[in-house]
Amino acid sequence: MIKGLIITHGDLGRELIQVAEKILERKADLAFLSLNWEDDGSDMDDQLDRFIVKNKNHDIIIFTDMFGGSPSNISTRFINQKIEVISGINLPGLLKFITYREKQTDLKKLVKIIEKGAIDGISILSEYLGEKK
Amino acid sequence: MIEKSQTILNKLGLHARAAAKLSHLANSFNSDIHIVFNEDRVNAKSLLGILTLAAAVGNDITIVAEGDDEKEAVAAICDLFNRKFDEEN
Repeated sequence: MIKGLIITHGDLGRELIQVAEKILERKADLAFLSLNWEDDGSDMDDQLDRFIVKNKNHDIIIFTDMFGGSPSNISTRFINQKIEVISGINLPGLLKFITYREKQTDLKKLVKIIEKGAIDGISILSEYLGEKK
Repeated sequence: MIEKSQTILNKLGLHARAAAKLSHLANSFNSDIHIVFNEDRVNAKSLLGILTLAAAVGNDITIVAEGDDEKEAVAAICDLFNRKFDEEN
């Protein structure tokens, strides 16, 4: 199964996982790393290294909170055939990952599904509901 | 193909946790299952799809199932709605 890791500023990743698990009423098998505001990121680099070595037999998706932020910048150097990084993760995108990872084992296809779920999950509600009326 | 109308009975409507239970249940059947509400038709196996309906308590939706276990699927889904998604006593 494709492994997942969320790296964010503060505890955003941990909270996202907890909310997703509450909604789905099951464990998500997702790891998280929190970048403290005082840290320079070097510790996170080591932790990320360890996660990748531990899961070397799996494909991995690293989720980060925002493109260009430190969690995202640190992750970028790990991108290869077996590791993808998705920035700007949100709850709809994360739910897509958790609910599709068992049926879609192709890494490239799964990241496209998650990207679409995350983007489709953002709506200006007055426009969305206006269209429906 | 089976179609069945169903009223939403739980207070919170098809919110996140209810939608998760519904999609999880729908995924346990082979049949293609859709939920129709007003002009919208979504895949009952998609949690995010169900959420886009924004269907509330008192709304009537239609369950449409097609496949070898369509009868069981519709019965189980109606039961989940009638149990108010096990959210209320």
